[in-house]
Amino acid sequence: MSNLSSIRMAGSDLAKYPFLNEAGEYLRESSFGWEELDRPDMKYIIDRAAERIEMEVDGKIYDNLERYEIEILTFLISLVIIKSIGIDQVLRKFALAEARRAEKFLTEDLRKQSEIKRRSIFTKIFEDLFKLKIIISEDQRLFKVRVVDYLARASHFHEQEWKLINRLVHNGYVYLDADETVRLIRNELSVLIYDKVKGMTLPILPQGIKSKADQLRLKLISRYERRRSAAVTDYPPCIKHALEVMNRGDNLPHSARVMLATYMLAIGKPVDEIVLMFEKAPDFNEKITRYQVEHLAGMKGSHTKYSVPSCDKLRNENLCFATAECDGLINPVQFGRKKK
Amino acid sequence: MRENLIAVKTISVIKKAFREYYFNQSKAIEEPLKMEQREFGYMHFGQAGMLRHLSFKSMKELDAVLVREAPSDVYCSNAYYRFPTQQPMQEKQWLGADLIFDIDGKDLGMPCVPSHSYSVCINCGYVSPPEQDEERSSYSCPSCTCKKADHVSIPCSKCIDGSKKEVRRLMDFLLADIGLEHNAINIYFSGNNGFHVHINDDACISLDPQARSDLVGYISGTGLMLESIGVRKTNTEDLFSIKFPKSGLTYGWRRRITEKLKIDMTSAIKLKNIVNQNGGYNAFKVELDTLAKHMGVRIDPQVTTDVHRVFRMPGTLNSKSGLSKTKSSDLYSFDPFVDACLLGDGKVSVRVKTPVKLKLKRNSFNISKESAEMPAYAAVYLMCKGLAEAY
Repeated sequence: MSNLSSIRMAGSDLAKYPFLNEAGEYLRESSFGWEELDRPDMKYIIDRAAERIEMEVDGKIYDNLERYEIEILTFLISLVIIKSIGIDQVLRKFALAEARRAEKFLTEDLRKQSEIKRRSIFTKIFEDLFKLKIIISEDQRLFKVRVVDYLARASHFHEQEWKLINRLVHNGYVYLDADETVRLIRNELSVLIYDKVKGMTLPILPQGIKSKADQLRLKLISRYERRRSAAVTDYPPCIKHALEVMNRGDNLPHSARVMLATYMLAIGKPVDEIVLMFEKAPDFNEKITRYQVEHLAGMKGSHTKYSVPSCDKLRNENLCFATAECDGLINPVQFGRKKK
Repeated sequence: MRENLIAVKTISVIKKAFREYYFNQSKAIEEPLKMEQREFGYMHFGQAGMLRHLSFKSMKELDAVLVREAPSDVYCSNAYYRFPTQQPMQEKQWLGADLIFDIDGKDLGMPCVPSHSYSVCINCGYVSPPEQDEERSSYSCPSCTCKKADHVSIPCSKCIDGSKKEVRRLMDFLLADIGLEHNAINIYFSGNNGFHVHINDDACISLDPQARSDLVGYISGTGLMLESIGVRKTNTEDLFSIKFPKSGLTYGWRRRITEKLKIDMTSAIKLKNIVNQNGGYNAFKVELDTLAKHMGVRIDPQVTTDVHRVFRMPGTLNSKSGLSKTKSSDLYSFDPFVDACLLGDGKVSVRVKTPVKLKLKRNSFNISKESAEMPAYAAVYLMCKGLAEAY
């Protein structure tokens, strides 16, 4: 670790990767104080932060890059506003988009930077933040990660190409190109940003930020509350079918049970209610069902929250009973939302 | 009534032999790493169900229970728990689990199996001798017409060689691909007809079931995409193009498959011809699936992916045979019928239900008479298999 700490990040790196510890150090060294956010010249940064949040909550990546001093502050204020909005779905979307933003820059950097530079930044970010050791392959063209490190991450990806058998594996390492290596840590980047916000304690906010946060909250809350109610009252046909089978007391295949539980979790149903939905299953055992639902919710075991299987996957498993209303959907959770 | 008495007597003889083993050979039982974090379990002879969720702080404590109870089978979790005795499972607080592979001789489809397999009626215990053409589904007991039987096998040396071959193939994957150190791989004879391969590697302990399942897919050759070797599907039905992956074909599955197909990064046209000769993208995919399955190792996927399982403890006896789960340091010279046959040789009288041949501790037994007197290790072996009873 000692040689890692000697690597200094350039300002341009901090602009792209403002979640790094060095960005925090920069703020400390510059004796930044919250009261400074009320200065008139901070309005530009607060507006930038609000713009960044709005774009990212809509699923777009904010890749407009300014000097690092501005970027670090913009990122910090974004986090403060997100925390102040206090809607979990907004935070999740923001965290994912921030992860994708970093992923984009990391991939670009890897492709163009010199070997030494490439090695140092990459090693630092991956090893420091994610305890993932990246080694440049013997012929310098690829990167390699340990098989166990690869499995711990990629086994949760749904695409067949990420299965270990479809990778070049040799002597304990999996060989990846730049895009693939960065993709491997996207979820962790997102969790890192999510946890950063979750762990924040908000100071009394300067008026400029507070009013911006309130405005955004008002705008977003209606969107998310509407989504929740729309989804709960209007189940997609695959879910309706599974519920019918379940209510008849027939045996529902394991994959359909996973679909049903992950869907209900995604629309915000409490675990207790979901467990009761399985009550009529011929092999119902409350303890086991509860454990399994909690496992899918990421509350147990590996703490991975399972997402609802895609329409593609459900079609392959013969669990899809699409109607015209399903046109254009790629996941059952979108049902009822895109209709409006 | 008489049958019951015989069954009780048979169990008592086996139990006595097991107890003697646990009394005299307690050193043979391997102490599991971090014993205090493991869940233990054992079964009693003649009783269904397992006593689970037990914890032992020391081998001394465990040894005392084994001598006192003389269990039919003894198990220890692959998992490490903060509270191993808590129930339900989630209360135990899982801390990790050893990675274990199971190669079971009965899953290998060895051609010799029918010649040494017996059907033992679950109702009256009548033994039908091996019949080459017998359909198991059509079983009907000649004595009581019961339709259900246990199918027991006396594995021959070919069966054991088949399992060993599979273990060696597994070793190739674990060493060359997964990069494990030789000394991190411990091979155990299961005590009946297969091998358990235990991995002692800290990095593997934290792998979750999904990661283990991905590893199982790799080792068993499941889910290989044509794209991995450079055959890419185009949008049009069944059309394809050849574009070799950036990372090459030199290692792992890509090497295995391309060597088999005799192609390399310069053989795009040859590969295209191979796909066409096999009937196009979809047909070649089926072909490749079969090839990969054939080249993969036949491991039990459930065993490796289960991170809460209890496994037979190394050094304990298997009630299906009376043999011990024994570590094999040199697979080539390891002979389970010698190295894992550790019961005593005091004479025991048995009634043998069918003519049978076996070789244990380098002694051949060719039993054609109904009543026989033989060393305890052989008598117990036959009684555990259901082919003999105490006389």
